[in-house]
Amino acid sequence: MDGVWVFIGADSVIFAILFLSFMKDRLHNPAMFEASRHTLNMNLGGIDTLILLTSSWSVALAIQALKRDLIDRVPRYLLGGVLTGLMFVVSKSIEYFQKFAHGIMPGTDAFYMWYFTLTGIHLAHVLVGTSLLTFLWIRSRRGAWSSSRRVVPECVASFWHLVDLLWIVLFPLLYLMRAV
Amino acid sequence: MSVLRERVTWVWIGLMVLTCVTTWGLSKNLFGPAVAVVGNFLIAAVKVRYVMLDFMELRQAPLPVRVAFEAWPAVVAAVILGFWFATPAFS
Amino acid sequence: MATHAEPGTAAPARGLSPYSTDYTSWKILACMGPLFLALFVGLWGFLGRNMPPFSPNATPEEVKAHFVELRLPLLIGMSVALTITAFYMAWSVAIARVMEHVEGPGGVFSKLEMMGGTITCAPIMTACMAWLTAAHEAHYLDPGVVHMLYWMGWLLFDLAYFVTSLQIAACSIAFMRDKREKKLVPDAVSWWGWVTFASFFVVSAIPFLTTGPLAFNGVISFWVAFFTWFFWIAGLGYFVFKAIDRIKAEDEAAGRLNA
Repeated sequence: MDGVWVFIGADSVIFAILFLSFMKDRLHNPAMFEASRHTLNMNLGGIDTLILLTSSWSVALAIQALKRDLIDRVPRYLLGGVLTGLMFVVSKSIEYFQKFAHGIMPGTDAFYMWYFTLTGIHLAHVLVGTSLLTFLWIRSRRGAWSSSRRVVPECVASFWHLVDLLWIVLFPLLYLMRAV
Repeated sequence: MSVLRERVTWVWIGLMVLTCVTTWGLSKNLFGPAVAVVGNFLIAAVKVRYVMLDFMELRQAPLPVRVAFEAWPAVVAAVILGFWFATPAFS
Repeated sequence: MATHAEPGTAAPARGLSPYSTDYTSWKILACMGPLFLALFVGLWGFLGRNMPPFSPNATPEEVKAHFVELRLPLLIGMSVALTITAFYMAWSVAIARVMEHVEGPGGVFSKLEMMGGTITCAPIMTACMAWLTAAHEAHYLDPGVVHMLYWMGWLLFDLAYFVTSLQIAACSIAFMRDKREKKLVPDAVSWWGWVTFASFFVVSAIPFLTTGPLAFNGVISFWVAFFTWFFWIAGLGYFVFKAIDRIKAEDEAAGRLNA
């Protein structure tokens, strides 16, 4: 379905605009941004990246299996995608609760406002993607998809890879970007 | 289908390694800020490109679509780095 | 004169009236979406100084000063914007009729779309009324009251988004189901509708944040949310207009008088 590229493209461009806006705000107060950045958990962020990459890989394997009509293998790869998606959600939730416990909220300063906004919107994408993958997984167990019926899985997979690649940029932007 | 022989598996391994390099390598104080930041974003751009080409299967997409999408990590990295270099230092 | 559908024809005939379809009026209504867009951006956007809006972080004194200083452009911009918002309602009627040629007459999505497009006018008009009142009366009002009118307008204007979301969703669902080889409205436009639909949800943050991208003047809640909608109006408007001629040709080929 060609139209899905419009959705994915638009989403990518919107996020690019957000990255630009973040950098613009950072230009005006680099010291505060750097200080707040230090309170983020780099290790958790890095692990989140590993989780999402693995999730994308699992979903990509599902599509490869689908193309070759290895119908019995599709569900397990989709389930892998679902479980890793859920792991990301749990990890992010823990991270957010840690922040809230320290009294850090979106309104605390401009950096945190961006942190919660960017990761929050991304998390919403993860939740939607994981739900879609779950739907795919359920239907795949009943043999709904095949090499000749794979438009819906491919669209969902493309969306999921978008979610992955957005995090690939978000992580260094928020967590790793040191000041000069 | 042997998982280990799939292209996507090799791409995944590469992406995982690059992630470890940036998160636990480049970001350590061994490297100066400019090297770390430029390195992180160049690597991020490369990672995004491989996710697009091999996971999203952009290699098989029509050329205009592929060009448009491949431009995204390049432009995003360039803009971010541009802003980073333009941001004043502080003591 | 065809009053009953031949079996197997694409769009069943209504048989409701002996008068033939008024394609010309239909096309005039179809133009009203883009017309609304152009007028609204000019009047509310530029004359009304809403590109971007005055800061949600402003104090009551600053808001009052803004309305006092810009009284005349706001009186003109907001009053005319309020009035011409009706074009959006008229446009939604044209869209609904095109949707019926995909969905069949009386389908739920065409009804949902028409209601969504019509009701969308209410928060726009009421918000313009609030800002018009603020501009008109600012001299006499306590700054706190002007601040309230300003926020009242924005809270309604923004948070009623889901009415429009449902209009957009109805369009996207119906037009994506078109079985014509070349759809009346291309999938790209329908997918852009979904982009717009998705972009509206974050606007719910506006009561809580007065600075940054999610504030009502922010990158996401203003620039992304409004411009995705503006581009949708333009894109859908173009294809709906073109669709009417295609439907006319289909009706003539099938010998349908009033479909």
